[in-house]
Amino acid sequence: MQALRQILHLTAKDLRIEARSRQTLGLVVVLGILIVTVLGLGLGAQQSGGPAATAVLWVAYLFSGVLCFEKTMALERHDGALAGLLLAPLDRGVIYAGKLLSNLVLMFAVGAVITPVGILFFGFDLSAHPLGFLAIMGMSLIGFAAVGTLFAALVSSTRLAGGLLAMVVFPVTLPLVISSTQMMSRLFAEAGQWNGRAFAILLAFDLIFVVVSWLAFEWVIEP
Amino acid sequence: MTSPWAVLQRTLWTAGLLSLAAAIGILLVYTPTEATMGPVQKIFYLHLPMAINTFLACLVVFIASIGYLWQRSTWWDDLAAAAAKVAVVLCSGVLITGMIWGRSAWGQWWTWSPRLTFSLMLWLLYVVYLTVRMSIESAQRRAVVSAAYGVIAFLDVPLVWLSARLLPDIHPASIQLIAPMKLTLAIWFVPVTLIACGLIMARYNLNRLNRQWQRGVELVDTPAPRMRVAGGVA
Repeated sequence: MQALRQILHLTAKDLRIEARSRQTLGLVVVLGILIVTVLGLGLGAQQSGGPAATAVLWVAYLFSGVLCFEKTMALERHDGALAGLLLAPLDRGVIYAGKLLSNLVLMFAVGAVITPVGILFFGFDLSAHPLGFLAIMGMSLIGFAAVGTLFAALVSSTRLAGGLLAMVVFPVTLPLVISSTQMMSRLFAEAGQWNGRAFAILLAFDLIFVVVSWLAFEWVIEP
Repeated sequence: MTSPWAVLQRTLWTAGLLSLAAAIGILLVYTPTEATMGPVQKIFYLHLPMAINTFLACLVVFIASIGYLWQRSTWWDDLAAAAAKVAVVLCSGVLITGMIWGRSAWGQWWTWSPRLTFSLMLWLLYVVYLTVRMSIESAQRRAVVSAAYGVIAFLDVPLVWLSARLLPDIHPASIQLIAPMKLTLAIWFVPVTLIACGLIMARYNLNRLNRQWQRGVELVDTPAPRMRVAGGVA
Protein backbone atom coordinates (compact mmCIF):
# COMPACT_ATOMS: atom_id res chain seq x y z
CA MET A 1 0.00 0.00 0.00
CA GLN A 2 2.81 2.32 0.91
CA ALA A 3 4.68 1.34 -2.25
CA LEU A 4 1.62 2.20 -4.32
CA ARG A 5 1.40 5.59 -2.67
CA GLN A 6 5.08 6.20 -3.36
CA ILE A 7 4.67 5.20 -7.01
CA LEU A 8 1.72 7.54 -7.44
CA HIS A 9 3.67 10.29 -5.71
CA LEU A 10 6.60 9.90 -8.11
CA THR A 11 4.30 9.79 -11.13
CA ALA A 12 2.43 12.86 -9.92
CA LYS A 13 5.76 14.66 -9.55
CA ASP A 14 6.75 13.84 -13.15
CA LEU A 15 3.36 14.82 -14.51
CA ARG A 16 3.35 18.03 -12.51
CA ILE A 17 6.72 18.99 -13.96
CA GLU A 18 5.40 18.16 -17.41
CA ALA A 19 2.21 20.16 -16.85
CA ARG A 20 4.23 23.19 -15.83
CA SER A 21 7.01 23.02 -18.39
CA ARG A 22 5.13 21.36 -21.28
CA GLN A 23 8.51 20.36 -22.68
CA THR A 24 7.97 16.75 -23.59
CA LEU A 25 4.41 16.43 -24.85
CA GLY A 26 4.53 19.33 -27.28
CA LEU A 27 7.76 18.12 -28.85
CA VAL A 28 6.75 14.48 -29.02
CA VAL A 29 3.28 15.06 -30.43
CA VAL A 30 4.59 17.31 -33.19
CA LEU A 31 7.28 14.74 -34.04
CA GLY A 32 4.62 12.01 -34.25
CA ILE A 33 2.40 14.05 -36.55
CA LEU A 34 5.41 14.89 -38.71
CA ILE A 35 6.32 11.22 -39.06
CA VAL A 36 2.78 10.27 -40.01
CA THR A 37 2.71 13.08 -42.56
CA VAL A 38 6.06 12.19 -44.10
CA LEU A 39 5.12 8.53 -44.41
CA GLY A 40 1.69 9.46 -45.77
CA LEU A 41 3.29 11.60 -48.46
CA GLY A 42 5.94 8.99 -49.18
CA LEU A 43 3.57 6.07 -49.47
CA GLY A 44 1.01 8.01 -51.50
CA ALA A 45 -2.73 7.58 -51.77
CA GLN A 46 -2.67 4.02 -53.14
CA GLN A 47 -1.19 2.68 -49.91
CA SER A 48 -4.04 3.71 -47.65
CA GLY A 49 -5.96 1.18 -45.57
CA GLY A 50 -5.43 -1.06 -42.58
CA PRO A 51 -1.94 -2.61 -42.73
CA ALA A 52 -0.18 0.55 -43.89
CA ALA A 53 -1.88 2.59 -41.17
CA THR A 54 -0.75 0.18 -38.44
CA ALA A 55 2.80 0.19 -39.73
CA VAL A 56 2.86 3.98 -39.94
CA LEU A 57 1.41 4.31 -36.46
CA TRP A 58 4.10 1.97 -35.18
CA VAL A 59 6.88 4.04 -36.70
CA ALA A 60 5.36 7.14 -35.13
CA TYR A 61 4.96 5.47 -31.71
CA LEU A 62 8.51 4.12 -31.75
CA PHE A 63 10.21 7.40 -32.53
CA SER A 64 8.02 9.59 -30.36
CA GLY A 65 8.22 7.00 -27.57
CA VAL A 66 12.00 7.01 -27.58
CA LEU A 67 12.05 10.80 -27.48
CA CYS A 68 9.51 10.79 -24.65
CA PHE A 69 11.43 8.27 -22.51
CA GLU A 70 14.65 10.11 -23.09
CA LYS A 71 13.13 13.44 -22.09
CA THR A 72 11.54 12.19 -18.88
CA MET A 73 14.85 10.65 -17.86
CA ALA A 74 16.87 13.71 -18.86
CA LEU A 75 14.69 15.60 -16.38
CA GLU A 76 16.24 13.57 -13.58
CA ARG A 77 19.75 14.31 -14.80
CA HIS A 78 19.25 18.03 -14.17
CA ASP A 79 20.71 19.36 -10.95
CA GLY A 80 21.42 15.87 -9.65
CA ALA A 81 17.71 15.10 -9.21
CA LEU A 82 18.36 11.42 -9.76
CA ALA A 83 20.93 11.29 -6.99
CA GLY A 84 18.32 12.80 -4.67
CA LEU A 85 15.77 10.28 -5.79
CA LEU A 86 18.19 7.42 -5.21
CA LEU A 87 19.01 8.74 -1.76
CA ALA A 88 15.35 8.87 -0.78
CA PRO A 89 14.21 5.97 1.42
CA LEU A 90 12.52 4.22 -1.49
CA ASP A 91 12.83 0.82 -3.01
CA ARG A 92 14.53 1.24 -6.39
CA GLY A 93 11.76 -0.82 -7.96
CA VAL A 94 9.34 1.88 -6.86
CA ILE A 95 11.34 4.47 -8.76
CA TYR A 96 11.13 2.31 -11.87
CA ALA A 97 7.40 1.78 -11.46
CA GLY A 98 6.84 5.51 -10.99
CA LYS A 99 8.84 6.34 -14.11
CA LEU A 100 7.07 3.63 -16.09
CA LEU A 101 3.68 4.94 -15.05
CA SER A 102 4.48 8.53 -15.96
CA ASN A 103 5.95 7.42 -19.28
CA LEU A 104 2.81 5.41 -19.94
CA VAL A 105 0.54 8.34 -19.17
CA LEU A 106 2.56 10.52 -21.52
CA MET A 107 2.63 7.87 -24.24
CA PHE A 108 -1.13 7.36 -24.02
CA ALA A 109 -1.54 11.11 -24.31
CA VAL A 110 0.73 11.15 -27.35
CA GLY A 111 -1.09 8.16 -28.81
CA ALA A 112 -4.41 9.90 -28.28
CA VAL A 113 -3.26 12.60 -30.70
CA ILE A 114 -1.16 10.65 -33.21
CA THR A 115 -3.56 7.74 -33.64
CA PRO A 116 -6.55 9.80 -34.84
CA VAL A 117 -4.23 11.67 -37.20
CA GLY A 118 -2.90 8.41 -38.63
CA ILE A 119 -6.37 6.94 -38.93
CA LEU A 120 -7.62 10.08 -40.63
CA PHE A 121 -4.73 10.36 -43.10
CA PHE A 122 -4.74 6.71 -44.04
CA GLY A 123 -8.50 6.20 -44.20
CA PHE A 124 -8.36 3.38 -41.68
CA ASP A 125 -11.90 2.27 -40.83
CA LEU A 126 -11.95 1.49 -37.11
CA SER A 127 -15.72 1.15 -36.76
CA ALA A 128 -15.66 -2.67 -36.94
CA HIS A 129 -13.55 -3.27 -33.82
CA PRO A 130 -12.64 -0.06 -32.01
CA LEU A 131 -12.15 -1.82 -28.68
CA GLY A 132 -9.92 -4.49 -30.17
CA PHE A 133 -7.77 -1.77 -31.71
CA LEU A 134 -7.49 0.06 -28.41
CA ALA A 135 -6.64 -3.12 -26.52
CA ILE A 136 -3.89 -4.12 -28.96
CA MET A 137 -2.32 -0.68 -29.09
CA GLY A 138 -2.62 -0.21 -25.33
CA MET A 139 -0.89 -3.50 -24.60
CA SER A 140 1.82 -2.81 -27.14
CA LEU A 141 2.52 0.56 -25.55
CA ILE A 142 2.83 -1.04 -22.10
CA GLY A 143 5.52 -3.47 -23.28
CA PHE A 144 7.27 -0.75 -25.25
CA ALA A 145 7.29 1.64 -22.29
CA ALA A 146 8.56 -1.10 -19.95
CA VAL A 147 11.66 -1.69 -22.08
CA GLY A 148 12.03 1.99 -22.97
CA THR A 149 11.98 3.16 -19.35
CA LEU A 150 14.69 0.72 -18.33
CA PHE A 151 17.00 1.57 -21.20
CA ALA A 152 16.36 5.29 -20.89
CA ALA A 153 17.63 5.08 -17.31
CA LEU A 154 20.62 3.07 -18.51
CA VAL A 155 21.81 5.16 -21.42
CA SER A 156 20.91 8.59 -20.05
CA SER A 157 24.33 8.83 -18.44
CA THR A 158 26.13 8.21 -21.71
CA ARG A 159 27.06 10.83 -24.23
CA LEU A 160 24.96 9.45 -27.09
CA ALA A 161 21.77 9.05 -25.03
CA GLY A 162 19.05 9.63 -27.67
CA GLY A 163 20.48 7.76 -30.63
CA LEU A 164 21.63 4.89 -28.48
CA LEU A 165 18.22 4.56 -26.85
CA ALA A 166 16.49 4.23 -30.23
CA MET A 167 19.02 1.62 -31.24
CA VAL A 168 18.62 -0.60 -28.20
CA VAL A 169 14.85 -0.31 -27.95
CA PHE A 170 13.88 -0.92 -31.58
CA PRO A 171 15.22 -4.45 -32.05
CA VAL A 172 13.91 -5.54 -28.66
CA THR A 173 10.38 -4.32 -29.47
CA LEU A 174 10.20 -6.14 -32.82
CA PRO A 175 8.02 -8.97 -31.39
CA LEU A 176 5.49 -6.32 -30.37
CA VAL A 177 5.48 -4.83 -33.85
CA ILE A 178 4.98 -8.19 -35.53
CA SER A 179 2.32 -9.55 -33.21
CA SER A 180 0.29 -6.35 -33.08
CA THR A 181 0.36 -5.83 -36.86
CA GLN A 182 -0.55 -9.48 -37.39
CA MET A 183 -3.46 -9.11 -34.97
CA MET A 184 -4.62 -5.94 -36.69
CA SER A 185 -4.58 -7.49 -40.12
CA ARG A 186 -6.50 -10.53 -38.86
CA LEU A 187 -8.97 -8.35 -37.00
CA PHE A 188 -9.71 -5.85 -39.74
CA ALA A 189 -8.97 -7.64 -43.00
CA GLU A 190 -10.06 -11.21 -42.31
CA ALA A 191 -13.58 -10.84 -40.98
CA GLY A 192 -12.86 -9.97 -37.38
CA GLN A 193 -10.91 -12.99 -36.21
CA TRP A 194 -9.10 -12.62 -32.91
CA ASN A 195 -5.55 -13.91 -33.23
CA GLY A 196 -5.13 -15.69 -29.91
CA ARG A 197 -1.50 -16.66 -30.41
CA ALA A 198 -0.41 -13.13 -31.23
CA PHE A 199 -2.34 -11.88 -28.23
CA ALA A 200 -0.54 -14.39 -26.01
CA ILE A 201 2.83 -13.14 -27.30
CA LEU A 202 1.80 -9.56 -26.60
CA LEU A 203 0.75 -10.49 -23.09
CA ALA A 204 3.92 -12.52 -22.47
CA PHE A 205 6.07 -9.63 -23.70
CA ASP A 206 4.34 -7.20 -21.34
CA LEU A 207 4.63 -9.50 -18.34
CA ILE A 208 8.23 -10.58 -18.93
CA PHE A 209 9.62 -7.14 -19.58
CA VAL A 210 7.69 -5.30 -16.89
CA VAL A 211 8.94 -7.81 -14.32
CA VAL A 212 12.50 -8.14 -15.65
CA SER A 213 12.96 -4.40 -16.11
CA TRP A 214 11.62 -3.80 -12.63
CA LEU A 215 14.08 -6.35 -11.21
CA ALA A 216 17.01 -5.20 -13.34
CA PHE A 217 16.49 -1.50 -12.60
CA GLU A 218 18.13 -1.52 -9.19
CA TRP A 219 21.16 -3.35 -10.56
CA VAL A 220 21.84 -0.87 -13.29
CA ILE A 221 20.74 2.54 -12.08
CA GLU A 222 23.52 4.96 -11.19
CA PRO A 223 23.39 8.65 -10.43
CA MET B 1 55.86 -21.41 -19.87
CA THR B 2 52.72 -22.61 -21.60
CA SER B 3 49.73 -22.21 -19.35
CA PRO B 4 46.97 -24.86 -19.23
CA TRP B 5 44.70 -22.25 -20.79
CA ALA B 6 47.00 -21.90 -23.81
CA VAL B 7 47.29 -25.68 -24.11
CA LEU B 8 43.52 -26.01 -24.01
CA GLN B 9 43.17 -23.40 -26.70
CA ARG B 10 45.74 -24.99 -28.93
CA THR B 11 44.13 -28.39 -28.54
CA LEU B 12 40.73 -26.92 -29.33
CA TRP B 13 41.93 -25.27 -32.51
CA THR B 14 43.89 -28.32 -33.65
CA ALA B 15 40.90 -30.59 -33.06
CA GLY B 16 38.56 -28.09 -34.68
CA LEU B 17 40.60 -27.66 -37.84
CA LEU B 18 41.35 -31.38 -38.17
CA SER B 19 37.69 -32.30 -37.74
CA LEU B 20 36.77 -29.57 -40.22
CA ALA B 21 39.05 -31.15 -42.78
CA ALA B 22 37.56 -34.56 -42.06
CA ALA B 23 34.02 -33.20 -42.26
CA ILE B 24 34.71 -31.57 -45.63
CA GLY B 25 36.17 -34.85 -46.88
CA ILE B 26 33.13 -36.80 -45.73
CA LEU B 27 30.81 -34.22 -47.27
CA LEU B 28 32.53 -34.51 -50.65
CA VAL B 29 33.05 -38.26 -50.77
CA TYR B 30 30.59 -40.05 -48.53
CA THR B 31 27.41 -37.96 -48.26
CA PRO B 32 24.83 -38.67 -50.97
CA THR B 33 23.57 -35.78 -53.08
CA GLU B 34 19.95 -34.89 -52.48
CA ALA B 35 17.62 -35.63 -55.41
CA THR B 36 15.62 -32.43 -55.87
CA MET B 37 18.03 -29.73 -54.75
CA GLY B 38 21.29 -31.28 -55.86
CA PRO B 39 24.63 -30.26 -54.33
CA VAL B 40 23.21 -27.02 -52.89
CA GLN B 41 21.43 -29.09 -50.25
CA LYS B 42 24.86 -29.80 -48.72
CA ILE B 43 24.94 -26.26 -47.41
CA PHE B 44 22.45 -27.51 -44.85
CA TYR B 45 25.16 -29.42 -42.96
CA LEU B 46 26.89 -26.14 -42.25
CA HIS B 47 23.71 -24.11 -41.82
CA LEU B 48 22.11 -26.05 -38.95
CA PRO B 49 25.23 -26.42 -36.75
CA MET B 50 25.93 -22.71 -37.17
CA ALA B 51 22.35 -21.89 -36.17
CA ILE B 52 22.57 -24.05 -33.05
CA ASN B 53 25.95 -22.55 -32.14
CA THR B 54 24.53 -19.07 -32.56
CA PHE B 55 22.08 -19.87 -29.77
CA LEU B 56 24.88 -21.26 -27.64
CA ALA B 57 26.91 -18.10 -28.13
CA CYS B 58 23.86 -15.99 -27.24
CA LEU B 59 23.42 -18.14 -24.13
CA VAL B 60 27.04 -17.43 -23.17
CA VAL B 61 26.37 -13.70 -23.58
CA PHE B 62 23.32 -14.05 -21.33
CA ILE B 63 25.14 -15.98 -18.61
CA ALA B 64 28.16 -13.68 -18.73
CA SER B 65 25.88 -10.63 -18.55
CA ILE B 66 24.13 -11.95 -15.47
CA GLY B 67 27.53 -12.84 -14.05
CA TYR B 68 28.72 -9.29 -14.58
CA LEU B 69 25.66 -7.68 -13.01
CA TRP B 70 26.04 -10.02 -10.07
CA GLN B 71 29.80 -9.94 -9.44
CA ARG B 72 30.95 -6.89 -11.39
CA SER B 73 34.23 -8.47 -12.40
CA THR B 74 35.60 -7.40 -15.74
CA TRP B 75 36.27 -10.87 -17.08
CA TRP B 76 32.53 -11.56 -17.30
CA ASP B 77 32.25 -8.45 -19.42
CA ASP B 78 35.10 -9.55 -21.68
CA LEU B 79 33.52 -12.97 -22.06
CA ALA B 80 30.13 -11.48 -22.97
CA ALA B 81 31.75 -9.21 -25.55
CA ALA B 82 33.66 -12.13 -27.07
CA ALA B 83 30.59 -14.37 -27.24
CA ALA B 84 28.46 -11.62 -28.76
CA LYS B 85 30.97 -11.05 -31.51
CA VAL B 86 31.07 -14.76 -32.31
CA ALA B 87 27.26 -14.90 -32.18
CA VAL B 88 27.09 -12.16 -34.80
CA VAL B 89 29.64 -13.89 -37.02
CA LEU B 90 27.78 -17.21 -36.78
CA CYS B 91 24.41 -15.58 -37.30
CA SER B 92 25.76 -13.82 -40.39
CA GLY B 93 26.84 -17.26 -41.62
CA VAL B 94 23.36 -18.63 -40.93
CA LEU B 95 21.77 -15.75 -42.83
CA ILE B 96 24.08 -16.11 -45.82
CA THR B 97 23.77 -19.90 -46.08
CA GLY B 98 20.02 -19.56 -45.54
CA MET B 99 19.77 -17.05 -48.35
CA ILE B 100 21.75 -19.29 -50.70
CA TRP B 101 19.42 -22.13 -49.79
CA GLY B 102 16.37 -19.93 -50.33
CA ARG B 103 17.63 -18.80 -53.71
CA SER B 104 18.05 -22.36 -54.87
CA ALA B 105 14.91 -23.84 -53.26
CA TRP B 106 12.37 -21.05 -53.67
CA GLY B 107 14.04 -18.89 -56.32
CA GLN B 108 14.33 -15.85 -54.06
CA TRP B 109 17.22 -14.50 -52.03
CA TRP B 110 14.91 -13.18 -49.38
CA THR B 111 11.40 -14.02 -48.22
CA TRP B 112 9.75 -12.84 -45.01
CA SER B 113 9.36 -16.41 -43.88
CA PRO B 114 9.50 -17.00 -40.11
CA ARG B 115 12.95 -18.51 -39.84
CA LEU B 116 14.64 -16.04 -42.14
CA THR B 117 12.93 -13.18 -40.33
CA PHE B 118 13.93 -14.69 -37.01
CA SER B 119 17.58 -14.98 -38.05
CA LEU B 120 17.54 -11.38 -39.21
CA MET B 121 16.01 -10.14 -35.95
CA LEU B 122 18.49 -12.17 -33.92
CA TRP B 123 21.33 -10.77 -35.97
CA LEU B 124 20.01 -7.22 -35.41
CA LEU B 125 19.68 -7.78 -31.66
CA TYR B 126 23.32 -8.78 -31.32
CA VAL B 127 24.71 -6.34 -33.86
CA VAL B 128 23.10 -3.66 -31.70
CA TYR B 129 24.84 -5.21 -28.69
CA LEU B 130 28.20 -4.71 -30.39
CA THR B 131 27.29 -1.20 -31.48
CA VAL B 132 26.28 -0.30 -27.94
CA ARG B 133 29.67 -1.48 -26.74
CA MET B 134 31.43 0.64 -29.30
CA SER B 135 29.50 3.79 -28.53
CA ILE B 136 30.00 4.06 -24.77
CA GLU B 137 33.35 5.41 -23.68
CA SER B 138 33.40 4.77 -19.95
CA ALA B 139 34.45 1.13 -19.52
CA GLN B 140 32.40 0.64 -16.39
CA ARG B 141 29.25 2.21 -17.85
CA ARG B 142 29.72 0.22 -21.05
CA ALA B 143 29.86 -3.00 -19.09
CA VAL B 144 26.67 -2.25 -17.14
CA VAL B 145 24.65 -1.09 -20.14
CA SER B 146 25.72 -3.98 -22.32
CA ALA B 147 25.13 -6.52 -19.55
CA ALA B 148 21.57 -5.26 -19.06
CA TYR B 149 21.07 -5.31 -22.81
CA GLY B 150 22.54 -8.81 -23.03
CA VAL B 151 20.00 -10.09 -20.52
CA ILE B 152 17.03 -8.35 -22.13
CA ALA B 153 18.08 -9.39 -25.65
CA PHE B 154 18.33 -13.04 -24.69
CA LEU B 155 14.95 -12.99 -22.97
CA ASP B 156 13.61 -11.41 -26.13
CA VAL B 157 14.82 -14.30 -28.31
CA PRO B 158 11.92 -16.72 -27.57
CA LEU B 159 9.42 -13.92 -28.11
CA VAL B 160 11.08 -12.99 -31.39
CA TRP B 161 10.91 -16.63 -32.42
CA LEU B 162 7.23 -17.00 -31.48
CA SER B 163 6.25 -13.74 -33.14
CA ALA B 164 8.16 -14.60 -36.31
CA ARG B 165 6.13 -17.78 -36.51
CA LEU B 166 3.00 -15.70 -36.95
CA LEU B 167 4.22 -14.94 -40.47
CA PRO B 168 3.28 -17.30 -43.32
CA ASP B 169 5.85 -20.09 -43.70
CA ILE B 170 7.62 -21.85 -46.57
CA HIS B 171 10.68 -23.02 -44.65
CA PRO B 172 10.93 -26.81 -44.19
CA ALA B 173 9.75 -27.59 -40.67
CA SER B 174 11.58 -30.88 -40.52
CA ILE B 175 13.74 -32.31 -43.22
CA GLN B 176 13.62 -36.00 -44.04
CA LEU B 177 17.17 -37.28 -43.87
CA ILE B 178 18.46 -40.73 -44.68
CA ALA B 179 21.03 -42.32 -42.34
CA PRO B 180 24.26 -41.14 -44.09
CA MET B 181 22.89 -37.59 -44.17
CA LYS B 182 22.13 -37.70 -40.45
CA LEU B 183 25.65 -38.95 -39.80
CA THR B 184 27.15 -36.12 -41.88
CA LEU B 185 25.06 -33.61 -39.97
CA ALA B 186 26.20 -35.05 -36.64
CA ILE B 187 29.84 -34.95 -37.79
CA TRP B 188 29.53 -31.34 -38.91
CA PHE B 189 28.44 -30.28 -35.45
CA VAL B 190 31.92 -31.16 -34.15
CA PRO B 191 34.12 -28.73 -36.13
CA VAL B 192 31.57 -25.92 -36.07
CA THR B 193 31.15 -26.14 -32.30
CA LEU B 194 34.89 -26.47 -31.67
CA ILE B 195 35.71 -23.53 -33.90
CA ALA B 196 32.95 -21.43 -32.31
CA CYS B 197 34.40 -22.17 -28.86
CA GLY B 198 37.91 -21.47 -30.15
CA LEU B 199 36.80 -18.14 -31.56
CA ILE B 200 35.14 -17.14 -28.31
CA MET B 201 38.30 -18.04 -26.39
CA ALA B 202 40.58 -16.22 -28.79
CA ARG B 203 38.42 -13.14 -28.70
CA TYR B 204 38.24 -13.34 -24.93
CA ASN B 205 42.05 -13.44 -24.71
CA LEU B 206 42.27 -10.44 -26.95
CA ASN B 207 39.74 -8.55 -24.82
CA ARG B 208 41.70 -9.35 -21.67
CA LEU B 209 44.97 -8.18 -23.25
CA ASN B 210 43.27 -5.07 -24.53
CA ARG B 211 41.99 -4.26 -21.07
CA GLN B 212 45.45 -4.72 -19.55
CA TRP B 213 46.92 -2.52 -22.24
CA GLN B 214 44.26 0.17 -21.65
CA ARG B 215 45.03 0.10 -17.96
CA GLY B 216 48.73 0.43 -18.75
CA VAL B 217 48.08 3.41 -20.99
CA GLU B 218 46.01 5.08 -18.30
CA LEU B 219 48.79 4.59 -15.79
CA VAL B 220 51.36 6.09 -18.14
CA ASP B 221 49.13 8.98 -19.22
CA THR B 222 47.98 10.03 -15.80
CA PRO B 223 50.39 12.65 -14.45
CA ALA B 224 51.85 11.95 -11.07
CA PRO B 225 49.90 13.64 -8.25
CA ARG B 226 51.25 17.09 -7.47
CA MET B 227 52.96 17.41 -4.17
CA ARG B 228 51.03 19.51 -1.74
CA VAL B 229 52.94 21.53 0.77
CA ALA B 230 51.10 21.52 4.02
CA GLY B 231 49.64 24.88 4.96
CA GLY B 232 51.00 26.84 2.01
CA VAL B 233 51.15 27.26 -1.76
CA ALA B 234 53.19 24.69 -3.60
